[in-house]
Amino acid sequence: MQLWIQIICEIGFRKLNALFSLLGLTLAVITVVASQLIAVSDERETRRVTRDMGFNLRLIPAETDLGQFYRDGFSRYAMDVSTLDRLATQLTNNVSFNHLVGSLRRGYTVNDQGVLLVGLSKTYVAPGQGKKPMGFVIKTNTIHIGSEIARSQKKNKGDTMQVGMKRFIIANDPIETGTSDDITIFARLGDVQSILGLNGKINEIEAIDCLCLTADEDPLTILRREISGILPDVQVVHKQKLADARAKQRQTREKVNAVVLPSVLLAGAVWVALLAVFNVRDRRQEIGILRALGKSGWRIAGLFLGKAFLLGFVAAVIGVVLGMWAVMEFGPSLFPVTKKAIQINPSLAFQMIIATPLFAAFSSFIPAMLAVSHDPAETLRDD
Amino acid sequence: MIHCDEVTKTFYKNGSEVLSLDRFTAEIRSGEFITVRGPSGSGKTTLLLTLGGMQRPSSGKVHFNKHDLYALSPKERASLRSAQIGFVFQMFYLVPYLDLLGNVLIAAPDKPDKMLRQRAVDLLEQFGLSQRMAHRPDELSAGERQRLAVARALLNRPKILLADEPTGNLDPDNASGVIEHFVKFHQSGGTVVLVTHGTSADTFANRIMRLDQGRLIEG
Repeated sequence: MQLWIQIICEIGFRKLNALFSLLGLTLAVITVVASQLIAVSDERETRRVTRDMGFNLRLIPAETDLGQFYRDGFSRYAMDVSTLDRLATQLTNNVSFNHLVGSLRRGYTVNDQGVLLVGLSKTYVAPGQGKKPMGFVIKTNTIHIGSEIARSQKKNKGDTMQVGMKRFIIANDPIETGTSDDITIFARLGDVQSILGLNGKINEIEAIDCLCLTADEDPLTILRREISGILPDVQVVHKQKLADARAKQRQTREKVNAVVLPSVLLAGAVWVALLAVFNVRDRRQEIGILRALGKSGWRIAGLFLGKAFLLGFVAAVIGVVLGMWAVMEFGPSLFPVTKKAIQINPSLAFQMIIATPLFAAFSSFIPAMLAVSHDPAETLRDD
Repeated sequence: MIHCDEVTKTFYKNGSEVLSLDRFTAEIRSGEFITVRGPSGSGKTTLLLTLGGMQRPSSGKVHFNKHDLYALSPKERASLRSAQIGFVFQMFYLVPYLDLLGNVLIAAPDKPDKMLRQRAVDLLEQFGLSQRMAHRPDELSAGERQRLAVARALLNRPKILLADEPTGNLDPDNASGVIEHFVKFHQSGGTVVLVTHGTSADTFANRIMRLDQGRLIEG
């Protein structure tokens, strides 16, 4: 009698045992598939949330009076733009900061209204770490203005505005933020340098810390040590609450991934193994007579491993279909912002269909060995 | 065919040592029909399992066709059982999820050929079970189950049948029907070792062995 026929007949006979195994494995597959499919969206959502929180590191000229800096929102001193370049070259090394933007900030008057004029450089990102800049991209001859400036000067997106000697097109829909951004004009760094007559100068570098620091390390100490090694002439101001919020957001996601998946896999393995142990106990007489009929240990192990493999395969197919359906159906409402990232993943489906039968067989390995090592004479004598 | 030399088997049960076979020495010749008698716990089943290569003795030797049975590897012993020994037990030990044909073919190698399939069908016919080939064992009477177990034991044309109280669960009519099949097997040249409490097989036996407390006291 062929092994597979025997396995299929046994599954049909002990339906409940097979059904529970199938259920456990299917739930595990659904969880893995769903978590992997939404992981991309989840990561993008986290990245977007943390990006929207903004920069948490401000590097300003060393001689800056912090009282004046906090009061005015900018340093009265300036540093050479080469400072930014020097720092940017260090991004290829293993440093604890990323996303560098140089800026030149000054108080300025536009149509008799006092504003904060900010010129932004392009964003420098460590190789392979994100394609999108942290801030917004300012196109040539355009500016972004705050809501209070728009309101008082009756300006909207697409209107033009004279700033210094140059006329710009307003590129944004001014939205009230409740911050100093409402009275800020953002322009390209070169434009602001030219307006202020400070060519080649900046007075701030913004960045974010890399969030990989653990709770027992003081991030500010490490950051200051790293940055002072590169730029001895700057002060490092850390927006602690923002940094903590970013770290917490990222760590929460990482903890979920680190705990949920292994737990599901472990629970699945234990469940399958327990059911296999019960199956072995139920089949002691069968094992005994198969031995008496001259069946080898491998043939007997094959009955249990093959059953687990077959159930794993069926569970993988069902789990992949259900998991992908569930994510496509409910994922977009969970991740409305990054729902486009939720997509069917054929490669994941293939991996699950290969891995689940092996996982199930591996989980049944110990019970199968119990079946093989069981003394058949004991059963045949006692029963 | 089988020679037992000073075979002793001890077990540990509930913390104490139980002597099941005590220096058992006997010769079972090819073509013999032997009944083994003795009170419960006298070592009859242990003897049968030891003769069939299912239970290694604590000491002594069992030679099967001049091969030291327990010097063979487990794989060789399994192969010898499959080819030359047929077992029949009181509790039938049928596979509950297979139909009758499957239960006979379970004794076959992994891929039974056409001839072996035909032999299984023939055996079921011979044992009056051909009409119920697609049924499962739990749909059979005790007598039918035991006939099925005997059919399974005969599939591979064994040289010897080792039967452990095969009529213990049967009414007299069914019991004599089963014994009749052992007699037929014996008449066709097979060797039978039949452990039994009853006397119905004694008429056909060449020899009666009596065991008491693991020792051969007669035969």
